[in-house]
Amino acid sequence: MATTIIQTEKLVGKRIRRREDPRLITGTATYVDDIQMPGMHHAAIVRSPHAAAKIRSINIKAAAEAPGVVAVFTGKDTEKVGPVPCGASLPGLRVPHHYILAIDRVYLVGHPVAVVVATDRYLARDAADLVEVEWEVLPAVADPEKAIAPGAPPVHPQWPDNVAFVYHQEGGDVDKAFAEAEVVVKQRITSQRLIPSAMETRGVLAEWRGADRQMTLYTSTQIPHLVRTLVSGMLGLEENRMRVIAPEVGGGFGSKLNVYSEEALMGFVSMKIGKPVKWIESRRENFLCTIHGRGHVDYFEVAAKKDGTILGIKLKLIQDQGAYHQLLGPAIPTLSVLMMPGLYRTKNVRAEIVGVFTNCTPTDAYRGAGRPEATHGIERMVDILADELKMDPAEIRLKNFVHNEEFPFPTATGLTYDSGDYAAPLQKAMGIVDYKKLLAEQAEARKQGKLMGIGICTYGEICGFGPSPATPAGGWECGTVRVEPSGKVTVLTGSCHHGQGEETTFAQIAADELGVDIDDILVLRGDTAIVPYGIGTFGSRATAIGGTALYFALQDLKVKIKKFGAVLLGSPDVSFANGQVTCNKMGKSVSFKEVAAASYRAMKLPPNTEPGLVSTHFWEPPNFTFGFGAHIAVTEIDPETGQITVRRYLAVDDCGNIINPLLVDGQVHGGVAQGMGQALWEQGVYDDNGQLITGEYTDYAMPRAHMMPWIQSEHTITPSPVNPLGVKGVGEAGTIGASPSLVNSVVDALSHLGVRHIDMPMTPEKIWKLVAGGKN
Amino acid sequence: MIPQTFEYTAPKTLDEAMVLLEGGGKPLAGGMSLIPMMKLRLATPEHLIDLGRIKDLDYIREAAGELHIGATATHSSVENSALVKAKCPLLAAAAGAIGDPQIRNVGTMGGSVAHADPAADYPAALQALEAKIVIRGAKGERTVSAADFFVDAFTTTLDAGEVVREVVVPVEQAGTGTSYMKMPQPASGFAIVGVAVRVRRGGGKITLARIGVTGLSNIGYRASAAEKALEGSAGTADDIMKAAALVTQGVDANSDLHASAEYRKHLASVYAARAITAAASKA
Amino acid sequence: MLARAIPGCEGLEQTGPDEYRMKMKMALASLSGAFEGKVKITDSNPPSSFRLLVEGSSKIGFVKGEGLLTLTASGENTDISYEGDAQIGGTMAAIGQRLIDGTSKMMIKKFFEKLTAESAS
Ligand SMILES: Cc1cc2nc3c(=O)[nH]c(=O)nc-3n(C[C@H](O)[C@H](O)[C@H](O)COP(=O)(O)OP(=O)(O)OC[C@H]3O[C@@H](n4cnc5c(N)ncnc54)[C@H](O)[C@@H]3O)c2cc1C
Repeated sequence: MATTIIQTEKLVGKRIRRREDPRLITGTATYVDDIQMPGMHHAAIVRSPHAAAKIRSINIKAAAEAPGVVAVFTGKDTEKVGPVPCGASLPGLRVPHHYILAIDRVYLVGHPVAVVVATDRYLARDAADLVEVEWEVLPAVADPEKAIAPGAPPVHPQWPDNVAFVYHQEGGDVDKAFAEAEVVVKQRITSQRLIPSAMETRGVLAEWRGADRQMTLYTSTQIPHLVRTLVSGMLGLEENRMRVIAPEVGGGFGSKLNVYSEEALMGFVSMKIGKPVKWIESRRENFLCTIHGRGHVDYFEVAAKKDGTILGIKLKLIQDQGAYHQLLGPAIPTLSVLMMPGLYRTKNVRAEIVGVFTNCTPTDAYRGAGRPEATHGIERMVDILADELKMDPAEIRLKNFVHNEEFPFPTATGLTYDSGDYAAPLQKAMGIVDYKKLLAEQAEARKQGKLMGIGICTYGEICGFGPSPATPAGGWECGTVRVEPSGKVTVLTGSCHHGQGEETTFAQIAADELGVDIDDILVLRGDTAIVPYGIGTFGSRATAIGGTALYFALQDLKVKIKKFGAVLLGSPDVSFANGQVTCNKMGKSVSFKEVAAASYRAMKLPPNTEPGLVSTHFWEPPNFTFGFGAHIAVTEIDPETGQITVRRYLAVDDCGNIINPLLVDGQVHGGVAQGMGQALWEQGVYDDNGQLITGEYTDYAMPRAHMMPWIQSEHTITPSPVNPLGVKGVGEAGTIGASPSLVNSVVDALSHLGVRHIDMPMTPEKIWKLVAGGKN
Repeated sequence: MIPQTFEYTAPKTLDEAMVLLEGGGKPLAGGMSLIPMMKLRLATPEHLIDLGRIKDLDYIREAAGELHIGATATHSSVENSALVKAKCPLLAAAAGAIGDPQIRNVGTMGGSVAHADPAADYPAALQALEAKIVIRGAKGERTVSAADFFVDAFTTTLDAGEVVREVVVPVEQAGTGTSYMKMPQPASGFAIVGVAVRVRRGGGKITLARIGVTGLSNIGYRASAAEKALEGSAGTADDIMKAAALVTQGVDANSDLHASAEYRKHLASVYAARAITAAASKA
Repeated sequence: MLARAIPGCEGLEQTGPDEYRMKMKMALASLSGAFEGKVKITDSNPPSSFRLLVEGSSKIGFVKGEGLLTLTASGENTDISYEGDAQIGGTMAAIGQRLIDGTSKMMIKKFFEKLTAESAS
């Protein structure tokens, strides 16, 4: 609908419906699998059924002769293709060479060993069954603590201790803090493996045009530009000869913030056969071959004074890395360390991470990436401390929060918290739920033998990843605004959103700045031939960094618009507002549309000004932004069955200024659902032989709509000083706040029975045993 | 997730289907259990005979004090049938407890009983209802009781080439209270345990008690010891607790990721007590 | 006798003193697969006990079962007890959780039923 109303009302801050939704909910969006090409072939990948095995031989004869098959490749053919990259660098990090197809040994179930290429998808799949692999099965190890115990089978024979890295970080004087402590609480806390489960599985379509020496790679990714840089390198192709397109991407949650073997493999196959080739990941492959999240065993110790003042924190973190490092795997637990003090003032922390190889799917960024684990740990520990000191969990938090006048607050782990009012969301949340009344109700319920719990989590989140020195591939973002000669506005962003809604929020920002109708704006992303460069969408960064890059590009453009307007009006004394360049003295104005046309027609150029209205800005953030908030969960437990009912869920999040409250609520709801999934249901479980036994949705308990309680989303607003929009980020907040508030709530319900901690997921059976046995 | 090549035929009559099935075809009903297995190639039938187009398999009707549920009646048609709700509410309740609406809209009575999943909901109700399963084979029809039909996990008395034609349940007599209660497994929705109960009162006593249990072991079964304990009792809370404690007697409970055998047994007693209480309150 | 006792066994071929190559067809409701594998008897301690190792692999994954069979005379009958462990891998493992305990129990039950029937005849 191209109405040409003059926009005087600001759109930023409004609940505007998502402009991308009609095509998504009518099923008409274009995903990788929707793309058809003349001569397109299809690939099926043969994968290891074993977690650890030597390949004695591979016989491809029958597969190669099967109907429709044009080629079969094994590791010997692809040996020279560059390894799947690990972008994380830590001192002493052991990086196994990650071939795109296994050479002579496999390290996990699902490890690719051959690719069958056929004229259609069905024939390729049939022929894949004909590839015969003779295995010599080796012992495997699937548990990180077992993997570092003496005598465990080595995942990579060159590193018999299975240690991928050891990382140490320390701030303040931890020994002194613990020596002076009046109380020390300790707890082992796990954060189980999770399977990201984007609605769209991965998919790759590679089209090599040999005569042009150009490749187009369509892939379901959050980071098309990085994929281009890295995959072209793997293939030995000049970067400018590869174009990567991320068409509609059906969710990622971090699982598509990666470079996968199949992306290079399809490129390789297309170059070999000279035809386009497509591979669409099956759900079964998605379970096994796309990264998993979390996978922590944490040993926490907190030292405190009797009045509840936290003096210091120690953490030993065992991270299950899986069999390989994917793009950021080893860096993820370091984010947990950065965030381990939470919102609290303590300056004394010590952390040691042991990254461990197991014969399992690699772990990497999954919604929250390191921060949910950290928050879960510290928020559980604070509750345990409160329990030890018989203090109220809200009170102990309020006592330890960073004070408002301390911002910007340098933390024990080297971060600088930008701005905050940490008590505000907690107090607001306590007011909304009527905390005192809830406590009274709980006391009454206990008298009647009922189990009711109130759980609080106050969290901090590193958003806006991040200043370039702190991110592996640069942490800036790029935004371009191109005003077309007709006055329509095209926004190009490096933030490769994949469901978050930037087509709406970025259009709101541009519409406000330019004073044009939102329908005149098109936001494009996800194509390296269109967008100059980009880092991508992850780490709650799109609005804080991509939005800011766009904002600055718009400012540059506004200067130029004024210059052209001044020429058209014949007066240098002009202003630009509401889509009009106006000269107040003359009482005359020209419209944005007229300016756009004039800038391209270029009959008369302003001094020292080029024709056209295009502006690109690369924005480097000076700091992260730090969102925060308080979540409260009220639960009830059926003592006979152990079933948990979430009676109330309240999230009060502070994500700085809000561009679109509707989308913020959506982020919070989805995030809470994922956090609740971890707290109550989801778990990626391997048996002792490295078989993923929750390898389909029949056993992997994804939360469904009907399992969710009503989620109330409220806010406090503390603008970030880091960017001119004053925004922080909210993409991961819900996930971060949900699991600790729920576990705290259930532990609270059982605390009078002596229960102090429960590991996730809190299955009814676990709870029943605790109720029956009365302890953990 | 691509099945092996298969042939597909959709006969219009049962007679046609019988011929095709004798030739080695595999029946396809709602496909909710069969197709996922085919997509993983765990099942590789060469010829599917779709029963879905056979009009005279899709019915729910009453005759001579019994309800007849055609093999291809979907779970949602059983759940929402006014007839079933009025005359055999236990069966409607069990149907309504299956999976989610999408599953119930497609999955069928015949498919569910033929598949004999140890955690399916219908077997509990059918055992409690002492239902009959009418089987059609090349040589004609035979009728088996639910007790004889279910043999073991995924195993029934069906021979190759035979199909379930219909399931027959009694019209519930006045004065009978029923209840189906289940704890769903969070991933699949199948029962960790499910207990179906029918209770009738007369002269201040429980005159009839039928208890079907699913999810606990390899087959849905009737908890006879518990039934016996309940029948003739006054049906007090204490009687109910005592009876409920007997539902797992002599049962080899299964154990998996979602529930240990010990927990399953405990749940069976808890759900039995609740379902008996609910049924008794309606009787 | 072993061949007839193992459910679905379609052929057993001796390859060593206590080792056999086996072809086995598993059909369970809609699940079906043709397995090839081996059967091995170890720790043979006649007449009271032996250890049976069954391994099979197919397109849909692999199975491995190991069990200690103990035979004890009780009057006229011989009681057979079994202690063992089953492992599955590959595609079967993906959906196996809900099924493995029940079905392995069923297979073992069938095995003993058949074994008993065979030894009686
Ligand atoms: C996500 C999910 C959740 C589920 N949750 C539950 C649950 O909570 N409770 C529950 O009870 N079930 C559940 N189910 C199973 C569901 O109820 C199936 O519909 C049912 O088990 C099989 O019925 P169908 O009509 O789909 O049969 P199909 O899948 O078509 O067939 C199943 C088997 O039965 C055979 N068959 C089908 N019809 C006949 C017939 N008339 N005669 C002989 N053989 C026949 C087929 O050959 C096949 O072997 C769930 C399924 C899914 C996918």
